[in-house]
Amino acid sequence: MAPIIELKNVTKEFKVLNRREGLKGSLRDLFSRDYKTVRAVDNISMSIEQGEIIGYLGPNGAGKSTTIKMMTGVLEPTSGEITVDGTVPYYNRAKNAQKIGVVFGQRSQLWWALPLVESFKLLKDIYMIEDKPYKDMLALYQSLVDIEPLLHKTVRQMSLGQRTLSDILAAFLHDPKIVFLDEPTIGLDVSMKSKIRTLIHALNKEKNTTVILTTHDMGDVDALCRRIAIIDKGKMLYDNDIEHLKGFFGSYRTLKIRTDGDHKIQAEAIRAELPDFSVSADDEWISVLVDEDRQKVIDVLGQLQKSYDIRDMQLNEISTEEVIRKIYEEGVQ
Amino acid sequence: MKLKKYLSLTRAGIIEQLQFRMSMLVIVLGNLLYLTVVYFLWKAIYASSGTDVVNGMTFSDTLIYLVLATALFNFMEMYTVWQMGRSIQSGAIILDLIKPMNPRSYLFWTYSGNFVVNFFSTFLPTFIVVCIVTHGAVPLGTNLAYFVVSVVMAIMINYNIDFFVGTICIYTESIWGINIMKQVIVLLLSGATIPIAFFPEPFKSITMYLPFQSIYNAPLTLLLNGSPEMSDVGRILVTQFAWCVVTLVISRLFWKVSLKRITVNGG
Repeated sequence: MAPIIELKNVTKEFKVLNRREGLKGSLRDLFSRDYKTVRAVDNISMSIEQGEIIGYLGPNGAGKSTTIKMMTGVLEPTSGEITVDGTVPYYNRAKNAQKIGVVFGQRSQLWWALPLVESFKLLKDIYMIEDKPYKDMLALYQSLVDIEPLLHKTVRQMSLGQRTLSDILAAFLHDPKIVFLDEPTIGLDVSMKSKIRTLIHALNKEKNTTVILTTHDMGDVDALCRRIAIIDKGKMLYDNDIEHLKGFFGSYRTLKIRTDGDHKIQAEAIRAELPDFSVSADDEWISVLVDEDRQKVIDVLGQLQKSYDIRDMQLNEISTEEVIRKIYEEGVQ
Repeated sequence: MKLKKYLSLTRAGIIEQLQFRMSMLVIVLGNLLYLTVVYFLWKAIYASSGTDVVNGMTFSDTLIYLVLATALFNFMEMYTVWQMGRSIQSGAIILDLIKPMNPRSYLFWTYSGNFVVNFFSTFLPTFIVVCIVTHGAVPLGTNLAYFVVSVVMAIMINYNIDFFVGTICIYTESIWGINIMKQVIVLLLSGATIPIAFFPEPFKSITMYLPFQSIYNAPLTLLLNGSPEMSDVGRILVTQFAWCVVTLVISRLFWKVSLKRITVNGG
C-alpha cells in the first residue's frame, strides 16, 4: 500500500529581519534590509501509512508546527516534496483541505457564539457531507462520548476540555483521511486528558484515520502512538517504534528533590557524588536522571538523604526534553 | 449544492448576530446620537449661509440624504479590515486557510448574515421612518428597483476595497491606523459624511472618477430621484459595474500575491 503522506527531503527556510536593540535600533530597523535565514525544517523525510497514529515530538520551536503547516498546505517548502494522499497540499489547498482535519489545541475552529450543533451543521455544508454519513458520524460520537448535553451549548460557554473535545469531533466530522492534532491535551486535567485519548484512539480504530499528534505530554504518546518521530532544531532525530525508544529509556526516572540552601552549589556536589547520572538544578528543584538498571531510585534517594536535608521530592517519567538531550548525548538507532 | 454551503454561512451569521441583542440596541442608540449631531450641525450651516438652497440641496434634502447614508453605512459596513487584521495578527487566519473554500468568499459569506440582520434592524426601519416623517419626499417607484441593484454592487465594491486594505495587514501586521485611514477616506470620498454636491471643484470631479462614490453616492442618488433620465441611471449602474470588476480583479490579484508571502515566508 502506498503511504498516505510522503515527505522527501523537505526543507523550510524563513527570512527574518535582524532586529536591533533599543529605540534607536528599532528606528533603524524600519529601513533595514538586513535579513537572516532561519532554517525551521532541515531535510526531513518521512512516510506515513494509512491508519497510523504517529507522535510528533520535539521541544518548542523545533519545527513541528512548520512541518504540519506544510502538510496542511498553508506553507510551501523551500525545497523538497510533500504529497498527501496523492496531491501536493500547497498547490491544491482546497482539495487537500477536504481530506484533512486539523485541531490546534490553542485555538478553536468552531463558531464562538453558536451552539455546537449549529457549528456541526455548518461544517456539514462546508465540507459537503451527505446526510447519511453525517448522521452515522453523530451516532458514532454519541456512542463514544456523551455529546448530547454539549450539542446545545454555545462554544463560549464551554470549559476548555469540552471545547477541545468538540474541536476534535469537528475535525473528524467529514471523515478525513488524516487528522492533525496539535497539542490537543494542553492545559487539560487528568480525567479530560484520558477521555480525549480514548476518543482519539476509538476514532482511529473505527475510521482507520491517520492521526498525526504533536504533544509535549509523554502520557499522550504512551497511550496512543505506536510510532514516534522526534525533531529538534529542524532535524529529524528519531523516527521509529515507541518500543524501541522505551527499551532505551524505559528504565529512566527523573528524581527531583528540594533542599535548603543553594541548589546550584549542591547540584555540583551531587554531580561529583553520582558521576553516572546527569544532574541539573533550577530555583525549585534539583533533578537527577536515574537509570534504574544501574541503581534503584530509592537507593539514590537514601544516599542523598544522608548528606542533604530534603524538604520535598518528586518522581517523574523521563520527559521529552530529557529524551532529546539523551539522544544528543548518546545517540540511539 | 454549491450554493448551499454559502447560504448556510449566511444562516449561521444571522443566528450569531441575534445572540447579541444588546449590541444591536447600542448601535441604534449610537446612531440616534450621531444623527442628532448631524441635524444641528447642518441646521447651523444652513442658518449661516442665509439661503434655503445650498449647492442645489435644501436643508431637508441634505438631512434625508445623510440619514439614509448613515443607515446604509450601518447596513453595509463589514469591518472586514478588523477581522482580517486580527486573524492575521493572531495567526488564526490559518483556520480560514485550511477550509475547503476560497478564503475570500469564506469571509464574505461568513459576514453575509449580518447584512440580513442589519437590513431589517437598521436600514429598513430608518427608511420607513424617513418616508413617514417627510411625507413622501422619498419617491417610491422604479427607483427602488435601481436602488436594490445599486446596493448589491455597492456591497461588492465595498468588500473588495476592504479586502484589499485587509490584505495590507499581512505586510504591516497592524490594523488600527490602516483601518482608520481607510474609513476616513472611504466615508469622505463616497459622500457618506458630506453629500458630494457640497464638494468644491475640481475635488468634486475627481471624486466622480474614483470608485468610492459608487459605494454611497450612487445608490442614494438613484434612491432619491423619482423621475430620473434613463441615461443617468444607465451611466451610474454601468460605472458601478465597471468598478465592481476592477476592484475585484485588483483585490484578488493582490491577495494572491500576498498569500504567497504567507506561504513562502510564514505567518
